Amino acid sequence: MSANPEPTAAPALTVTALPPFKPDLYERAWTSIPHPTLPLIATAHQKSVTVFSLSTLSAHSSLTGGHSRSVRSVAWKPNLGPGKLCLVTGSFDSTAGLWRWEGGDKADNLEVEITAGGNGAADSDDGDGDDKDDWEFTLVLEGHDSEVKSAAFSPAGQYLATCSRDKSVWIWEDVGATEADDEWETVAVLNEHDGDVKAVAWCPEHNRAGRGRYSADVLASASYDNTVRVWREDGDGEWVCVAVLEGHDGTVWGLQWEPRPAAARFPRLMTWSADRTVRLWTLQEEDDGDGDDGAGTAPRHAWGGLGGIPNTMRRSLKEEWKCTAVLPQAHTRDIYSAAWSADSGLLASTGSDGVIAVYKEEPQQASAAAGNGTGMTDAEAAVALDGDVPMTNGHSTAGGGKTPEAPPTAWRVMATVAGAHGPYEVNHITWCKRYDAACPSERRGVEEMLVTTGDDGVVRPWQVS
Amino acid sequence: MDKDNANPTILTASQLPTRQQKKRKTSSDGLKGGFLANISPKVSFLSGPFCDTPWSDDADSDDDFTDEPIDEQEIYDLISNISDPEHPISLGQLAVVNLPDIQITPTPSAMMEANTLTRVLVKITPTITHCSLATVIGLGVRVRLEQALPPNYRVDIMIKEGTHSQDDQVNKQLADKERVAAALENDTLKGVLDKMLETCL
Repeated sequence: MSANPEPTAAPALTVTALPPFKPDLYERAWTSIPHPTLPLIATAHQKSVTVFSLSTLSAHSSLTGGHSRSVRSVAWKPNLGPGKLCLVTGSFDSTAGLWRWEGGDKADNLEVEITAGGNGAADSDDGDGDDKDDWEFTLVLEGHDSEVKSAAFSPAGQYLATCSRDKSVWIWEDVGATEADDEWETVAVLNEHDGDVKAVAWCPEHNRAGRGRYSADVLASASYDNTVRVWREDGDGEWVCVAVLEGHDGTVWGLQWEPRPAAARFPRLMTWSADRTVRLWTLQEEDDGDGDDGAGTAPRHAWGGLGGIPNTMRRSLKEEWKCTAVLPQAHTRDIYSAAWSADSGLLASTGSDGVIAVYKEEPQQASAAAGNGTGMTDAEAAVALDGDVPMTNGHSTAGGGKTPEAPPTAWRVMATVAGAHGPYEVNHITWCKRYDAACPSERRGVEEMLVTTGDDGVVRPWQVS
Repeated sequence: MDKDNANPTILTASQLPTRQQKKRKTSSDGLKGGFLANISPKVSFLSGPFCDTPWSDDADSDDDFTDEPIDEQEIYDLISNISDPEHPISLGQLAVVNLPDIQITPTPSAMMEANTLTRVLVKITPTITHCSLATVIGLGVRVRLEQALPPNYRVDIMIKEGTHSQDDQVNKQLADKERVAAALENDTLKGVLDKMLETCL
């Protein structure tokens, strides 16, 4: 490909297929979730989960026999001790399952894979004659009336959220005496959505904060009712909806919080939809206004320093979230999945059209210089949204106590790949670290790749360069 | 059990669109006197999940696929023999599916590359505006086409405008991959679908 003659244009990215994980699963696979720290990725397909090693790109273990219908989602429990694995599965059989892997001999391999990269791990796997899976189905979480679509652990692992076609979100709390003691209690059932709840996601710990009487935990849910809701826990242990994000014109298939927000900004929220758009939403933060102690005008964003004001005096509060970007159109059918990289800040999306698109956020001037057809600026996005979005290109009113506006940016498509899984739909995309032998050893555990999961049962890594 | 539409208008085999000397299985012997022997149970719509077989390639791919492009008539032939869940009559005879309401985009052409995404839009016409089985009929059409067509086909099923009181809701359900997958894992619903599709073989 020849270089773009436009001197100010950023170089485009190249997305190259790497050999798929082995074995092929042959039938529809829904999602593949990388372990937060270990070189493992868990793929939900049929009534089971296959865990692949990112070192050997082959199966590490599998979870079978726990569910009577398809497993739709899977999530790793964070912050466990060495050699221990725990994950939760959400199934069409209306339950969520908790699984533990104590690992025996294989436990050591996990650490080997991390420290030695692909080489050592490949050898030790080959030498391990014990094919017996060490996963134990330790607990079934019952309560939903119909298919469980998604499950997610809070950053500390204390809470688990599940959601279902029954329109509800359930929050479960780990009340076990020890990590191995699997006892979970239902602490909330949230019934405000008008349709299936397709996905739930907890805000990561970076830059989040309690607000007024709310704790620091923040949950968001995406629904068939075209909306996204944001939930917080108040001082009395009640979970309340603090915002309804309206703008999508179709089922919201999923959502992800910004993994590494800039400066002291609250993480943005990315959502994707059957309306073929990816949207970014920003919390409209306001500093604690001094002297506004009266009910009704109390501070709307208290960063934990409001000791003097009794809870009852604070407005009970809604948060204001605005759609601040619509990514450039890259898909012709439902967007089933998108992923936001903590390392590079790049976004990637995929869906029914089998296309992978990768987007980059750039200062607005650079994007404008790059010419037509490369992206939609915030301002253009605002127009596309019928003007119900604040202009972020310098026209916003600078209120005295407000957090300074983020510098204006625009998103640009850096690469697209058509037919990523041949003629098949692609159900999921994620970023994860490379640990395979084909990656130079000094880049293992550092370099990022994309992994897509399709209706063809293939789980495929992609190099992005 | 009461039917939503006890006396539907029924087309005879000769009134149905066909290509040349196509052999058509008719179920006309089941039509006399409005007497309907097999009554399917009412189903709870898309209430359960699953999907075990649909996507494998060998089962349904005819050699036709490689020779000439699939056209609207061929789509019609794939779905017109599906049985109505209430009446032992085909969707073609009930005019629930109609040739003019099938669109293929892009227009079929022999020049097309093998993996070009091709959209098949089928608008179905429920026999009466409040027909509660519209979702099941739509699901049957979607499942039939997904099983029979190559994987580069994207099947969209919609209720024909103005023919059903809740068409938006039905359209949204039928377009939802996850719901369709889940519905096919529901034994009761799967049983109804299997019965509808029996007559396609």
